[in-house]
Amino acid sequence: MAKKIDGFIKLQIPAGAANPSPPVGPALGQKGVNIMEFCKQFNARTSAQQGLIIPVVITVYSDKSFTFITKTPPAAVLLKKAAKVEKGSAEPNKTKVAKVTSSQVREIATLKMPDLNAHDVDHAMSMVAGTARSMGFTVED
Amino acid sequence: MKTYKQFRIQTEPVNVELVSGLLWQLDLDGINETDSGLIVFAGSAKNISQGDLENILDRLVDDEQIQSFTIEEETLEDKNWNEEYEKNVRVIKVTDRIVIKPSFKDYTPEKDQIIITIDPKMSFGTGEHATTKLVLQLIEEYVHGGEKVLDVGSGTGVLGICSVMLGAESAICIDNDEWCFLNGDENVKANHLENKVEIRLAEIQQIKENNFDLIVANINKHILLEIADEIKLKINKTGTLILSGLLIIDEKDIVEKFTSIGFVLKDKNEMDEWCALVLQLD
Repeated sequence: MAKKIDGFIKLQIPAGAANPSPPVGPALGQKGVNIMEFCKQFNARTSAQQGLIIPVVITVYSDKSFTFITKTPPAAVLLKKAAKVEKGSAEPNKTKVAKVTSSQVREIATLKMPDLNAHDVDHAMSMVAGTARSMGFTVED
Repeated sequence: MKTYKQFRIQTEPVNVELVSGLLWQLDLDGINETDSGLIVFAGSAKNISQGDLENILDRLVDDEQIQSFTIEEETLEDKNWNEEYEKNVRVIKVTDRIVIKPSFKDYTPEKDQIIITIDPKMSFGTGEHATTKLVLQLIEEYVHGGEKVLDVGSGTGVLGICSVMLGAESAICIDNDEWCFLNGDENVKANHLENKVEIRLAEIQQIKENNFDLIVANINKHILLEIADEIKLKINKTGTLILSGLLIIDEKDIVEKFTSIGFVLKDKNEMDEWCALVLQLD
């Protein structure tokens, strides 16, 4: 018989660096989940993605056991990596701080397709390009 | 006690992907996505202010990506978040000989069994997880008596404690996490091993002792790759290295790195998706 689901927890944490402090501790602790066991599994599974932010959806069952799936990093995080900058612009409409190519935008859009509400890659690309503009990045062909 | 800033953010409309992505331009510890919005966490020492978040969200309003937002700031004190889980910690029979139990549960040992008392709080190593079981099984096999042991990333201290209970002469257990340092010390006292097991808040580079007969490390792949050279400096020529916290798919990279600096793979143990490796210098 399938286990009864007690709830879902959605977090975003740096890859390979989950620890029992907030947000992991309070979110999992109140559900009675073994926090350290989650950290161990998350860090092992995401260690190859060091430097990225990983959204994770944890399913908690009534017996306090859990499973989790990881999702793709937010587009803004992937854009910073592609543009090799730490931050976006403080005034994105006036000051442009970085450039990304349309092929980089396509690459990010393709990667993020499973997690975006986009009906095709072109739609996903326009969403990613919108995020780039909000960060003060220009998109070049 | 360490404190955290907790910012509860609601935006209209909700756009978790965009808003959270841009907030990660700040040095955050993490984000919790809830039904009512985002809860953003940052250690108080990082000096991230509500104004920093407002600046980012104001830009999204200017850009017409969102219409409005609210932010509520609170301070959160760090504590033992694992209390609820701890109530359900069971007695774990790791092998026929090794049993781990919390202090609040009784267990009558069978002949030749060693009973390790561990209250985990927020440290790793209750004996329940496959990675701990794997390394404890190997410790039972490779501790013959009289060894000097180094446990790197010691968590609850269970590996050092177990090694000494099985006959090792002494164990130094190191962890860079303050919770683990305090908790490891409590567990050493609970097992009356203060004169043989020492818990230190330290990185391996800070350890002056060397020539360890047994080094155990239940951490994870990228840390083990980083500290491989330091481990080699600490182990004696005929010593044994037991590595755990590894997914089976990590074995190739780990073996490649450790063989490149002079180790040979002697043994391995697998459980579920995890493996533990035994290496010695060639």
